[in-house]
Amino acid sequence: MRVIIFSWEYPPRVVGHLAEDISTLSTQLAKHGVETYVVTYHDYLTGATNEPSGVNTIRVTNPVRTHIGVLTWVLTLNQEVERAAANIYYQAKKHVGVIDVYDWHFIPAAVTLKNALAVPFIFSVESLEDHRSPGANSPFNMAIKSIEWLGFYEAARVTAKSEWMRDEIVRIYKVPGEKITVVPPNTDSRVQNVLKLYAAVTGGTQD
Amino acid sequence: MKNELSVMMLSWEFPPRVIGGISPHVYYLSKSLARNGVKVYVVTCDFPGAPAHEVLDDVEVYRVDSYKNPAPDFATWVYLMNLNMQKEAAALAASLPNKVGVFHAHDWLVATSGIGLKHVFRKPLLVTMHSTEIGRRDGLHTDTEKMISETEAWLTYEAWKVICCSGYMVSHVRWAFGLPEDKLVMVPNGVNTQVYDAIAGEDLRELRSRFAAPHERLVLFVGRLVYEKGVHILVNAVPKVLEKVDAKFVIVGSGYMKEQLLNIVRSMKLEHKVLFAGFVDDATLLRLQKVADVSVVPSLFEPFGIVALEAMAARSPVVVSDTGGLSEIVEHDVTGVKVYPNNTDSLAWGITRVLTDDGFRRYIVENAYRKVQEKYDWEKIAQQTKRIYESVLGEYSKSFWA
Repeated sequence: MRVIIFSWEYPPRVVGHLAEDISTLSTQLAKHGVETYVVTYHDYLTGATNEPSGVNTIRVTNPVRTHIGVLTWVLTLNQEVERAAANIYYQAKKHVGVIDVYDWHFIPAAVTLKNALAVPFIFSVESLEDHRSPGANSPFNMAIKSIEWLGFYEAARVTAKSEWMRDEIVRIYKVPGEKITVVPPNTDSRVQNVLKLYAAVTGGTQD
Repeated sequence: MKNELSVMMLSWEFPPRVIGGISPHVYYLSKSLARNGVKVYVVTCDFPGAPAHEVLDDVEVYRVDSYKNPAPDFATWVYLMNLNMQKEAAALAASLPNKVGVFHAHDWLVATSGIGLKHVFRKPLLVTMHSTEIGRRDGLHTDTEKMISETEAWLTYEAWKVICCSGYMVSHVRWAFGLPEDKLVMVPNGVNTQVYDAIAGEDLRELRSRFAAPHERLVLFVGRLVYEKGVHILVNAVPKVLEKVDAKFVIVGSGYMKEQLLNIVRSMKLEHKVLFAGFVDDATLLRLQKVADVSVVPSLFEPFGIVALEAMAARSPVVVSDTGGLSEIVEHDVTGVKVYPNNTDSLAWGITRVLTDDGFRRYIVENAYRKVQEKYDWEKIAQQTKRIYESVLGEYSKSFWA
């Protein structure tokens, strides 16, 4: 199975705990024989690396250097994410099983790749805009929420880290509960749960 | 047809959505390309009342959800709109029985869509740069302007070829983004003479009387009321023209300078001689251009100057500032009058000259009309554009993406 993980943070770029989390997960996936690619952002350490863990990383940067907000930054970075993912796809003779997207930043790229190349994606929710900015409904916050909504709508499956988060996604975005799988992090069974989900999304093929 | 050349046009405006010159440009280019055997898919923003999909003279038009939530600001809206456009264009391109051969983007307003589609489908991207931020703003003064300019630079970097509509724009774009010479190609903008010829026999006296009295010569300005269009130069020239000729100045268009311009007119006590007509419908505009005794284009920055070409097609004499694309369109004393840019005296002189010499006016009008038919015909422009597609696809076929 060949999998691409999208995450806006990955070591050495550590913003929150997501970077370490993705590093651990991708290493475990590689150990279990999954051909694992991580597409992530770094301002200047760009390009492809084959890590000793067996994980392949591709770091992209934003071609547009001046920005007026997180939204413009994100929405211009996504084309580089698409380019990196498309390169993996074409080099792999169009066999990519699934893209696993962590949080909203790279949802636009995942949505385009799904519609263009029929590669399904999983939306793995770390946090929601509604919790990060409680009660905020400015055009800025609404735009981020609309991208989250698009992610839930277009995703083949959604993962949440806890029952509570699953219920919140159902409550706020009216996502059908059966679309969401709870995958608690930092447990021994996590990688098995993730592998099971990937197999379900790819229909159990070896792509 | 198996080997049919197909192109997906990306444009943020397409009739009936008309904001600036890109909309008619993409409309006529697409129709003329279709007549020349190119399959054209236009992906554009939605518009109230316009269908999500329609076929216009063999051109397939798809209108996508243009992100209608309130957006933080215009530039952020552009990128949000592109998210939808790219998604829907991707789904469309993937569903077509014949693969899209090239993606053709018009201006930075569809930059991220074009760049993304290029990479996911691995097809060549072409861009027509209708204007630049650094030109529109006369420099880059804010982060928004820098961001837009950098987006334009990125778009031209990703494009296989960059099309500009005048020799002036070719050199401007090459300078603005440091592009290699062979990446740029000049294809003029076109004008449709038939729409003016079709109303040649009409009695337009009633229409004219809505804008000017019979004893007044009609001086026409058409354009957005923004700094770079130089409409304030025209307003300041009004009293100087009136010293020699009785005239009515009709200003069509709207924009952020409107209040400022009204104040200038009021302070000169010339409200009865300057008419701000606002936005007028196409049918009226065509006729107004036909009855205008002179059409004035006083731009300070003008990548092309389509409005001058339209006036020439309508057989209205033109007075233009000698800048940008206007310098190339008009040959002084042959197809029109060129005046110094940003110079009220020079502009007043040019307008007066045309209005006081009927023989000269007839001479430049006939020359201008012939010139338009020779050089700015959509049929020829479509053929040139098709040849660019073919040569790009020829180069592409030898690349590892093919």
